[in-house]
Amino acid sequence: MANNINTVETEVKYTAKDFSSGIDVKWCPGCGDYSILAQVQRSSPDFGAKKEDIVWVSGIGCSSRFPYYMNTYGFHGIHGRAAAIATGVKLANPKLQVWVATGDGDMLSIGGNHFIHACRKNIDLKIVMFNNRIYGLTKGQYSPTSEKGKVTKSSPYGTVDWPFNAIKLATGSGATFVARSMDRDPKHLQEILSRAAKHKGVTFIEVLQNCPIFNDGAFFNLTEKETRADNVVYLEHAKPLVFGEKQNKGIKLDGLNPIIIDLEDGKHSVNDCLVHDETDDNPTRIFLMARFTDIPGYPTPVGVFRNYSKQTYDGDYVQQIEGLKQKMGVGTYDALMFSENTWEVK
Amino acid sequence: MKKELRLMKGNEALAEAAILYGCDAYFGYPITPQSEILEYLSNEAAKRTGMVILQAESEIASINMVYGAAGTGKRVMTSSSSPGMSLMQEGISYIACGEIPCVLVNVQRGGPGLGTIQPGQADYFQSVKGGGHGDYKLVTYAPSTVQEMVDFVFDGFDLAFKYRTPVMILTDGALGQMMEKVLLPEQRPRKTEYEPWGSTGKTPDRERNIIYTLSLQPDVMEKWNERLQKKYRSIEANEIRFEAIDCEDADYVLVAYGLVARICQKAAHIARDHGIKVGVFRPITLYPFPYEQLNKVADNVKAFMTVEMNAGQMLEDVKLAVNGKKSVEFYGRMGGMIPSPEDIFAKLEEKLNHPVSKLVGELA
Repeated sequence: MANNINTVETEVKYTAKDFSSGIDVKWCPGCGDYSILAQVQRSSPDFGAKKEDIVWVSGIGCSSRFPYYMNTYGFHGIHGRAAAIATGVKLANPKLQVWVATGDGDMLSIGGNHFIHACRKNIDLKIVMFNNRIYGLTKGQYSPTSEKGKVTKSSPYGTVDWPFNAIKLATGSGATFVARSMDRDPKHLQEILSRAAKHKGVTFIEVLQNCPIFNDGAFFNLTEKETRADNVVYLEHAKPLVFGEKQNKGIKLDGLNPIIIDLEDGKHSVNDCLVHDETDDNPTRIFLMARFTDIPGYPTPVGVFRNYSKQTYDGDYVQQIEGLKQKMGVGTYDALMFSENTWEVK
Repeated sequence: MKKELRLMKGNEALAEAAILYGCDAYFGYPITPQSEILEYLSNEAAKRTGMVILQAESEIASINMVYGAAGTGKRVMTSSSSPGMSLMQEGISYIACGEIPCVLVNVQRGGPGLGTIQPGQADYFQSVKGGGHGDYKLVTYAPSTVQEMVDFVFDGFDLAFKYRTPVMILTDGALGQMMEKVLLPEQRPRKTEYEPWGSTGKTPDRERNIIYTLSLQPDVMEKWNERLQKKYRSIEANEIRFEAIDCEDADYVLVAYGLVARICQKAAHIARDHGIKVGVFRPITLYPFPYEQLNKVADNVKAFMTVEMNAGQMLEDVKLAVNGKKSVEFYGRMGGMIPSPEDIFAKLEEKLNHPVSKLVGELA
């Protein structure tokens, strides 16, 4: 794969420190973004690319300060346009490993259009979306992932909007690697990032992130020790969907409806549980699992929902040009100037 | 409800004015330094007048929601700050062409690009020269006090409906954030009557309306343009507003708008304390620009200095107005920097090289 460096071994052994730009990080104290930055820096040595071949592109928002802090090339872009800017970077430089740091407002509100089209095209971009379910930089208005009825500065009587389910949106738009992780689960986040780095095509990682100032505790039932086991189901390829303090609960499919089963009731066993297949090109089960977060009482799936491969836009595009060059030869100036639609004026 | 005196932030006063005018709808997207407009309206409007407030998914959505709602003949407003206003330019061109009245607010910050969240005036060209495509004009009010943030919402809606044209209130982050005493007008009722041109469905007693901005036949499109231009000539003849402060006896006149016009008044006082007769000419409508009025001032003064928070934008209109009669100097700060009265006075002395400067000595 001449057009992709992801498989090329790096010559230098990096450490997390190599990926830190060393400048002052300006997020609020306690912000989940610090953890995401740390996990990205810790897993960057596994990304399979030299740091000078990595570009971090962002839009506008708290998350989008990310490129300043990474010791890689970067782009602090335009609000909502990170996916489009990253598309430009990638297509003009197919050998670069292009990452996007964005937020729920940046990517799903103003940037929704660019996001779905990047997913549709399956461009080799790695999108990390920090989801804190709020607009932090503008100081606390609701976002497209804010839960219905949420009271914020711009919705004092509760929102009447339905939120986006980012996993469903990415899957429905054609993203080929779709995952969810959490700022407060550092090991898991590192693992997901490293896996994403190796995927070719659109990679979408939703990172549930706490905003301690404007939406504190939005995900505490998922991230805190006391409640995590009952509220999170970790997705692992070829493994059954089991969760609970003693791994005593499972998810079974009843037709197309997921139901929670008690594995200790004597009637059900782990063999009844839905087995996760992240490589399935049929997204039906992915949607089923993504919907858990919309059903009260169901655990939030965390992990890789989807990881399958299909041709990438950038790969096909480069291939098309190479093919044309082989078929038609490398063009010359004269051949271009005196080709079709030119004539001599007499 | 009677008139009320309150201490308010510029952004909040402007939002309050929209409610008091009986505005029907506001569509906006958060951006610093104007998010208080969206927040204030979200808190206050629905429970008081039932005004619709919607946080859109982007500024592009906001302006198109304005196009839709205002196209039904309702009183509709949006607001943003510089980068967001750039996103709205396409919609504004269509709204102007479709002759839809509405009020737009730009609480400017320093640019270009993401720039800064500090105040700026660098969107002058965008507002008065047509930020979108095609030959259209945007009536542009430049408030210089929190009181005017209120007044121009009222005047802006009146004028928008009088001429069926979009109106811009071009202010900045400092005026948006500063608190001042403000006299609030009485609450007006929401609008109930239909506009004959509004796209609100066909009833037996009226023809249907389709709002559109397209004509593939150039002769038809030219006629359309001529109609727009005729309207703009009428606005230029009737709606110019300006303020000439101490210009009668002035040797030098500072030309500035909005926040900077206030700073210039202080600079003029400093100058007069030093024995230099300085006045301030403040265009209140940036379009239509007071060309003739400023040209008349040129007869009695020695020179002008335009002061702006940009690299020299209104300067071009000032030069057109003065038309070579007198020299026009310029002092500008950019990127969110605000000139101080002392800066302006020092720059005035330096630029004009007034002989009095030898008497008052070198300025720090």
